[in-house]
Amino acid sequence: MQSDTIHLIGVYLKTTAKAWFQYRVDAIMRSLAVFLREATGVVVIYLTLMKFQDLNGWNVYEMLFLCSLLFLTYGILIIFFTGLRDFGNTVRKGEFDRYLLRPRGLLFQIIFVNADWFAAVGHGCLGISLFLVTAGKVGVVWNVGTVLYYLFAVLGGVLIQGAIFLLLAALNFYLLETDSLKELLYYDMKKFAAYPISIYSKVIQICMIYVIPFAFVNYFPAQFFLRKQDGAVYPFACLYLTPVVGGGVYLLAYLFWRYSIRYYKSSGN
Amino acid sequence: MVQLEYVRKFILKDVNLHIPEGMAVGLIGESGAGKTTLLKLVSGLLVPDAGRVSTMGHDPGHYRKRYGRAFSAYFTGIPLLEPQDTVRSGYEGIASVYQMAPSVFVREYSMLTERLGFGEYQNQPVEALSLGQRARVELGAALLYRPRLLVLDEPTVGLDQEAKQALRDLLKERVEQGMTLLISSHDMNEVSHLCGRIALLHKGNLEFYGDQEQLHWQYHSFHTMQMRILGPLPDLGDIPFQQYQIEGDRLTLVYSSNYITSAEILQQIMGQTSITELVIRKADLGQVILRHSKAFLE
Repeated sequence: MQSDTIHLIGVYLKTTAKAWFQYRVDAIMRSLAVFLREATGVVVIYLTLMKFQDLNGWNVYEMLFLCSLLFLTYGILIIFFTGLRDFGNTVRKGEFDRYLLRPRGLLFQIIFVNADWFAAVGHGCLGISLFLVTAGKVGVVWNVGTVLYYLFAVLGGVLIQGAIFLLLAALNFYLLETDSLKELLYYDMKKFAAYPISIYSKVIQICMIYVIPFAFVNYFPAQFFLRKQDGAVYPFACLYLTPVVGGGVYLLAYLFWRYSIRYYKSSGN
Repeated sequence: MVQLEYVRKFILKDVNLHIPEGMAVGLIGESGAGKTTLLKLVSGLLVPDAGRVSTMGHDPGHYRKRYGRAFSAYFTGIPLLEPQDTVRSGYEGIASVYQMAPSVFVREYSMLTERLGFGEYQNQPVEALSLGQRARVELGAALLYRPRLLVLDEPTVGLDQEAKQALRDLLKERVEQGMTLLISSHDMNEVSHLCGRIALLHKGNLEFYGDQEQLHWQYHSFHTMQMRILGPLPDLGDIPFQQYQIEGDRLTLVYSSNYITSAEILQQIMGQTSITELVIRKADLGQVILRHSKAFLE
């Protein structure tokens, strides 16, 4: 990467962070609101498991460890992929034209020009909190290998979710509205991913492994550390594939984006 | 610098246009004539259905990275600055995109804040500014990195008189320094002051492309001559005037310079009587266009 590109990324990140946090109290309150909203879902899981002891062999701390990966990856994801998450709105408001006027890659601009820092802080802090609470209680032995695995798993998880956003963004060139599709393909899948996939029907499991591979965002990485019984039915290689799946689906989504962008039409006036 | 060959898109029909480097071209015509479409084609925001567009030697839709640092465009409705950024940080972002040296940025930014008068609100988010304030900062952003080719679509919408004058002066300076300018505007005063050439679009056809003198000639631009006469009223029988008016000792003649020159009229009148005061006015660009539009409507 050229030094001016790195410099530009720095400028964009600094600028967006400055813009989002210019009113500090407001920023803290809004980040806290995101944290508490998401934490409510975690509390529901916690209270449910207080009643049932475990879910398909997963105890409460293991479940929260599973959730921590989901929140942490989303917290990182949204620093870079807010522009893609909100891309439908950008196209509808005619703001995509501004990126076409600049001498930089379109995807580069969309990725780095905007960042939902409130969501990043809210989700990120919740993910880190859950990790800190659970990491010592789920029996994971932390060494260089497991730490490296964890980092690559987080990277892969970010890429998988980024690929879904990129795919949905590219669909905006064909469809007038993709919000419902985003709800179905991303947010509903993310809700499913808060629980071990083994509790779902075969159709949903296949969907989460082979179609919208959310299982690789948190379930298989968590299985790598926890080796729960329910994971025995899936190919063993799945435990190691998160970075590969992440890179692969992101590449596919990128190629689809490159192909689709030719269908973008600006208005005459 | 810009070339269009038999270009068709939306309302535009087989438009041919060549703009040499350093030329300022005013794009005029009624609403819906295809001005914005033409400017978007030049900027690479639209792709022609037929024909070819070349901007700075490249297909503008595909090679922006190669020449984009020397190109700038301003369209109402396509903001250059991110709405949540402050004016200053938005400009810093643009400076990075266009790889401006820090010292050059500081110099250009200070000059623009002073000339366009947005220093007062440079630390406010762009989305908090009024329409006029936003237009000032957006236009400044388009000029920041000193492009070699500048495309402006209706740049004076929302600007007050002071800002209009400041923008006009800035653009004039840049054109004198060699910048190529393609500007669409309904403000004929602005176009006639800035542009060496006029491109007149009417319902998607390029009706005229040339300098202002040619435009006056082609559209039979009328001159108005007002004089105060001392002595008898002259016989105007041989003068091919469009209309005349006599009020006391004041005589007003409207005529086309295509048929008779002002000198010939004066020669005829002064052979018959004396003139104490004389004012000759050429039709301004707005009047020529108005007349042209009426002719089409008729």
